[in-house]
Amino acid sequence: MSSAPVASVRPGFSLDRDPVEPAAAARVREWYQAHGPAVYGFLRFHLPSADEADDLTAEVFLRAVRAAHQFDPGRGTGRGWLLGIARHGLTDHRRREGRRRMVPVGALRDLCCEAPSPEERLLREERVAGLLAAVARLAPRDQELIGLRYGSGLDTAETAAVLGVREAVVRTRLWRALGRLRREIEP
Amino acid sequence: MSGPPDDVAPLDRALDAIRFAPRASLGPEIEGRARRGEAPVRPSRRSRGWMLGAGAVAAGLAAAALAMPGLTTKAEITVDRCCWDLDGGGEADDGVRVVAWRDADVRRLWIYEDVDQSGGLTRADVVRFERGAAPALAAAGVPGLVTREQCCLDFDGGGPADDGLLVIGAPPDRVVMAAIFERPAGTATRLPLR
Repeated sequence: MSSAPVASVRPGFSLDRDPVEPAAAARVREWYQAHGPAVYGFLRFHLPSADEADDLTAEVFLRAVRAAHQFDPGRGTGRGWLLGIARHGLTDHRRREGRRRMVPVGALRDLCCEAPSPEERLLREERVAGLLAAVARLAPRDQELIGLRYGSGLDTAETAAVLGVREAVVRTRLWRALGRLRREIEP
Repeated sequence: MSGPPDDVAPLDRALDAIRFAPRASLGPEIEGRARRGEAPVRPSRRSRGWMLGAGAVAAGLAAAALAMPGLTTKAEITVDRCCWDLDGGGEADDGVRVVAWRDADVRRLWIYEDVDQSGGLTRADVVRFERGAAPALAAAGVPGLVTREQCCLDFDGGGPADDGLLVIGAPPDRVVMAAIFERPAGTATRLPLR
């Protein structure tokens, strides 16, 4: 057997370690603590499994580390910048993997739920899975808006900043998107 | 944000109530990868490394299939650990077999009494409890239940010994619920039962 532990190398990652600015690498913990749940929540609204959301969240932050010098606080918040990277990452992911329209029941182990019994949790998971499956049938623009507002928990101003539109536009688009979602659920 | 129109207000509330929490170990994992200078290329599911990993998994599953044909499929990991007193009977003769996606959802789980003292589930053993993907009680209103917890081992094939096993037993030999949870090192966190 070769002495090189090829099988232990994380699949898909370059063996060549590119130099990373130490200060930026140290900053990733701070970024993740502040914005990790928002980025993960946005991605999780669009992805059918926690594993895929894990992978893509990691990719967002690793990209951010390398692009740290491009972040300009004068042009927007750190959260908005990271979510911008997440939007592009999601687009790339869909191009690679094809769009998933199924949200399998039983794959929601990362759903926060205070149900007092396993049966009630299962019912809650079924309701959420049905709702997210309906979201996945909407147009990409509606999905993105719903993901930013509800997945990341952004308010109107933050959502408007991420999308580069006015707040009034966000409100109008969101209510229309929810109208279309309601028709998806109650045809 | 001003309130939504009445016709979509219930949907607004329903969506607003959905919260997902990333696993507790994701942040430290990302930080470690950033410090090591890993390139931000998402793992390809068809990469060479993945194929090597899949080959190793398939080899392990083939061995497991020889012991209990029909219990596993090629994408699953089987973990079998023994022996503790899980049903409250007083003897450390109970084991657990977990079939899971690696480091992820449990597909099937058995609690068994290791009758032949082989240290693993065999056809000679007595299965006390069996479940599918979702943790669920096998009985309700059973008096005298006892809770047993084993932590921390690798119960789901993910690598680190960061999983716990929670079993509710009805002595001397019944088990009414069993599930595993993840407990990252250095924390008291018990992530959702799975």
